[in-house]
Amino acid sequence: MKSDQLISVGTATNSRRSERWPYLFIVPMVLIILLVFVYPLIAVVRNSFYSGSISNLSFIGTANYVNLLRDDVFVHAIVNNIKLLLTVPITTLISLAAALILYENIRGWKLYRVILFLPYIIPAAVVGLSFSYLLQGNGILNTALRNVNLDFAALDWIGSTTLSIYSIGAVIIWSQFGFGVVVLTASLLSLPTEVSEAALVDGASRWQRQRFVIIPQIKETVQFLMVLQAITALAWVFPYIYTITKGGPANSSMVMDLYIWQYGFSLGAVGMASAAAVYLLALSGVLILIYSRMRKRQSERR
Amino acid sequence: MRRIIGFKGKSKSRIVATAAVTVAALVATIGLGTSTSSAAFKTADANTGKLVYWFWGESDIPGSTAWMQDAIKRYQAIHKGLTIELVPQNSDTLQGAFETTAQSKSGPDIAMQWATLPVLTPVWRGQVASLKGLVPPAEMANWLNTSENVSGGESWAMPLYLLGQPFVWNKALFKKAGLDPNKGPKTWKEFLATCAALKKAGITPVVVGDKDGFFGSWFQGTIGTQNLNSVKELQDVYAGKAKFTDSKYSDYLTKLAELKAKGYINSDVTSIDLTQGWQAFAQKKGAMTWTTDGNVATWIKAGMGADLGVQSVPKVGTGKLASFYTATQSISAYITSWSKNKQAAANFLVWLHQPENVKSWYTTTGSFPADKRFSASLIKDPVMKALYKLNTQPNQLWAQNYAPPQVDSQGLQPAAQGVLAGTSTAKQAAAAIQKAIDAWRTQQPKDLAAYKKWAGV
Repeated sequence: MKSDQLISVGTATNSRRSERWPYLFIVPMVLIILLVFVYPLIAVVRNSFYSGSISNLSFIGTANYVNLLRDDVFVHAIVNNIKLLLTVPITTLISLAAALILYENIRGWKLYRVILFLPYIIPAAVVGLSFSYLLQGNGILNTALRNVNLDFAALDWIGSTTLSIYSIGAVIIWSQFGFGVVVLTASLLSLPTEVSEAALVDGASRWQRQRFVIIPQIKETVQFLMVLQAITALAWVFPYIYTITKGGPANSSMVMDLYIWQYGFSLGAVGMASAAAVYLLALSGVLILIYSRMRKRQSERR
Repeated sequence: MRRIIGFKGKSKSRIVATAAVTVAALVATIGLGTSTSSAAFKTADANTGKLVYWFWGESDIPGSTAWMQDAIKRYQAIHKGLTIELVPQNSDTLQGAFETTAQSKSGPDIAMQWATLPVLTPVWRGQVASLKGLVPPAEMANWLNTSENVSGGESWAMPLYLLGQPFVWNKALFKKAGLDPNKGPKTWKEFLATCAALKKAGITPVVVGDKDGFFGSWFQGTIGTQNLNSVKELQDVYAGKAKFTDSKYSDYLTKLAELKAKGYINSDVTSIDLTQGWQAFAQKKGAMTWTTDGNVATWIKAGMGADLGVQSVPKVGTGKLASFYTATQSISAYITSWSKNKQAAANFLVWLHQPENVKSWYTTTGSFPADKRFSASLIKDPVMKALYKLNTQPNQLWAQNYAPPQVDSQGLQPAAQGVLAGTSTAKQAAAAIQKAIDAWRTQQPKDLAAYKKWAGV
């Protein structure tokens, strides 16, 4: 081998080495991700094929998945999660309405924004406990209603199998509404004012400016907010449910994350809990996929 | 690109040095861990070191946590080298928290669960140490109700106190309704007649809370077992040898539906929990309730003693268990299988049963200690005397403890809630419980096998 060939091989080796160095930098983060996200995910999928407690597992194939679909309570929990998804458009609409009002620079709008945001920063468990007292059959709300002769409206908000899940939905809307207002207000404040002013000069009414000029400009923020709220409704409602109804009465307000907790932690049936978690993951995955498609379509249009 | 070039030159040696330091730190950490565990091991089986005690009792016996904290102080004063950390637990998370910690085999040295199935389930999962060899048999012979936690011929947990489930009524409200305040209903017929009279007088006959589901299990335990002739017959239904839909098991749901339909139970029963139901009783919002000795003791301390009537629940069924009183050692303390200080933990449990502590427990909490050395002459209050007599009668059973925890939480509790919320018929509720039993049998084959072996089915 000639010396210039040797130099060439040496340079190529050095170049390959230098290409590898950046990967070394990301190794710690990759390891952390593997440990924190990938390993638990693999463990959950693996455990879903077993029965028994974690220290004493037996392989049972797909039986947990089949049993879950046969379990009325689990199916009801999925239905309840879907019902809670109804809170997403409602929260978004009222958040948007409030944000648009604040955007009109009404006097004290900053103070109003802080007040509206307050429920969001109260821990969910505190919100749940407070509402559990407020909404009892003979709780503060019903006592107030009865005192003003509105007995017909004093319903068993959390003790009725038909109302409990909707009462929780209302609490979630109350709690999440402020977050929507803050996000949307921030988005509105970042908009260039020229477009709106041009529409004003052209004679557009307030409604027309909001509907055809302002809202289209914050469309992406609205979509993002809706995805966040949908994930909350699917996988983050545990503290509300646990503190307000504990999933009852008669499992009427059972949701998937409470179901997973019951099996995984309260009963030690890790396999069933893991299989339920896989179903929940799949459902959340579908939502994220829909959102990604929407984003892709939008960027293609551009 | 610039950063990479810079890195290639000077910093290579720095990286090597950092890696060496990291490895050294890891080795040091591992070494430290080893030395810590070996130090802990060296302290095993002596009254030194540290014990973590997950305690539950406040819900049954108000004031019990304070008593235990004081007892620990006294014990630590005797054994200077020992520290006991008391960690109070909640009813809601008692079983879940232990199951979670058991998965990592860390946490408490001493934990507590309700007697029988809640204790035996972790026993069968290898999470509990046997008391054999840790507690002298002569000492254990003084403990009451130990049979509730026996499996495989060995005793697994220590009873602390006796807990009865009396049926209680408010004498003042009975009087207001024109009823004999000193006579509680003895049969179902009398019970319904009492309810009717109270309702007519504008008084809510029964006040309970069932948001947490416990009342459903209690009603099954006190009323639902009265058509059975033996504990074995009760175990048969969970082991799969009988069906819960059989009326001898499920008739109590019809009775519960009857109470609901006739308006004899408080309207907010499914939106308040068990404790809130008792508070409502204490506030005279209802005339009768199901409660515990501990609550009766508290009410007596609060000056309600003269208004309280106590007895066993009305007789409903015709089986031999109809004459049993619902009592148990309630919460039982056990030593975890992973504890490194098993003997120190056992010594502490034995000490809790020494006569001076047994006496102090009663005088402080008003609850009856589960120990033969307790002198009944200490009981002065007539209501408490009546309760002690009920608690120490030979025929006693706490049926809820014989239901596998999964069947209890997924079957007995929600089914009764459905009836109380007015959305399930008794028949539907019985079918739901049978379904929960079938689900447990399918999903937990190992627990089922252990249950069958224990029950001798």
